[in-house]
Amino acid sequence: MTDAAPVRLKGVNFSFGEGALRRPVLRDLDLNVAAGEIVLLTGPSGSGKTTLLTLVGALRAMQSGSCVVLGQELMGASETERVTLRRRIGFIFQNHNLLGFLTARQNVAMALELDPSSTEQTRLERAAFMLTSVGLADYLDTPPNKMSGGQRQRVAVARALASGPGLILADEPTAALDRQSGQDVVRLMRDLARQSGMPILLVTHDPRILDIADRVVSMEDGRILAETT
Amino acid sequence: MTAHALLPFRLAWRQLRAERARLFSAIAGVMFACVLVFMQLGFRSALFESASALPRAMQGELFLIHPLTTALFRPEPLPRVRAWQCLAVAGVAEAVPIYLAQTSWRNPVTGARRAIQLVGFDTEAGAVSFPGLSTLIQDLKRPDTVAFDSRSRPEFGPVPAILAERGPFIVQIGNRLTEIVGTVSLGASFGADGNVVMSETNFRRLAKNRDVSNIDLVALRLRPGTDPFAIQTQLTELLPKDVIVLTHDQLVAWERNYWETATPIGFIFAFGSLMGLIVGMVIVYQILFSDVASHLSEYATLKAMGYSSSYLSQVVLSAAAILAGLGFIPGALASAGLYHLVAKATLLPLRMELERSGLVWLLIFGMCVIAGLLAMRKLRDADPADMF
Repeated sequence: MTDAAPVRLKGVNFSFGEGALRRPVLRDLDLNVAAGEIVLLTGPSGSGKTTLLTLVGALRAMQSGSCVVLGQELMGASETERVTLRRRIGFIFQNHNLLGFLTARQNVAMALELDPSSTEQTRLERAAFMLTSVGLADYLDTPPNKMSGGQRQRVAVARALASGPGLILADEPTAALDRQSGQDVVRLMRDLARQSGMPILLVTHDPRILDIADRVVSMEDGRILAETT
Repeated sequence: MTAHALLPFRLAWRQLRAERARLFSAIAGVMFACVLVFMQLGFRSALFESASALPRAMQGELFLIHPLTTALFRPEPLPRVRAWQCLAVAGVAEAVPIYLAQTSWRNPVTGARRAIQLVGFDTEAGAVSFPGLSTLIQDLKRPDTVAFDSRSRPEFGPVPAILAERGPFIVQIGNRLTEIVGTVSLGASFGADGNVVMSETNFRRLAKNRDVSNIDLVALRLRPGTDPFAIQTQLTELLPKDVIVLTHDQLVAWERNYWETATPIGFIFAFGSLMGLIVGMVIVYQILFSDVASHLSEYATLKAMGYSSSYLSQVVLSAAAILAGLGFIPGALASAGLYHLVAKATLLPLRMELERSGLVWLLIFGMCVIAGLLAMRKLRDADPADMF
């Protein structure tokens, strides 16, 4: 089963800067995320966990090692290959980053417009379904600036999950939220991902949400320190 | 599939629509550029058209002018005998000398003086046909009579109104009392604010200090079925070098060419148009740039979601195209209104023409596309790797 794991990293090194300023942030890192698994990455600032997430999300070009995400080797992958892979990944950011000039439903539908086989009607229906499943059935046509922080982050979750991605990547999704809405959003993510067997790789500092994970990976200085299940 | 091609366009429209104040200032910017270019190009073509109104009203197939004549409002005289020499060529049926001069006209109401163009010719020869002239031919044979151009500038006085009220009346032209017997329609130009038309004899009475054997232009009527170009070649060989032979189109082009090249007028209007386009481009660029800059994290998110850079570029270019369209339509309507007002005030032939509208649309569209291409560079700053 390990071979078919959605995320397989082997011997990944990554550095920022050139020459004397070269600063390694990931050192010979190995990590697998199995299908349907929820993995939390924790660690102090500068431990490399966010860089790891951008590499897995195909947002940054690899430097050395091997990183296979959803069957695509990212080492040496072209910009086009990375853009195509990103369409199969759901991203949830620290800030919701919803488009302010679109309603909640239109924002979610944006994640579906990349599929040329979809029609406007199927997209809007799917978006409404996703918003209903995150408990925002009454906010379909509300613009983001008329919603609370928790509601916006739930729209972002609905958007990330709408196209049925093979992997969810989340970066501090609770950082901008209070305790209760943070808990709600993360549990919602977990429940929706479990239903469809999507794996989640989540970076967090927030000790209150550690309990949702199947596995917690602690990082420091670009290496994995410990894994707890 | 076509619906998918429209998605970037729809996104651009939704984004523009969300910021009303920004949208309206962008539209106003495009409108401004549009009106400016329309007015500049309109004036330019009106100038060239009105400047060539006199040669255009001539009926001849061929014309003789002195090679040093730069424009008909300031002609170089040529010997009248050249007109008769042309008759030696078999194809030439008639040679009509035309006399041109400027002199002062005293406004019949206020008494103010102003330079007016005199056009003298054999009114029966049919070589010059100004609308209204045919009914006045008998009256113009009397001594000291002229026909006034009703499209002269209003500073010459309300001549058509006085004529309608009390019939022919006396005005002072070049210190001579002359009777206005009627009006013809010709039009003011940049070279002459107004015109009066008269017979050869009456011209000599008004323009006394010139040699009677000197003329300014010759109109040649050819026998039916003769080739004007063959006659033109023949005459050019036959006549001395103090005249050149032009066809009707060449005469109009000669006059036009003076205003286009020998004066800065053509350049001024082209420069004015360019300024308008640059100002419009800067405004559109500012609007598009700030739209991108204030949505950088959203654009980066779209990139993370798998939207390509070229898709986002299409969004910016679509916004530019929308602004071009939304600014051009009211801009063209406003220009049509302004044309009407200015044409009434200046008597210049300003009209909204399809060809010019097409040209202005292309210029405005090009202006917006260039602004869009410049603003697109800001999209590079939307890096999804910075989002985490």
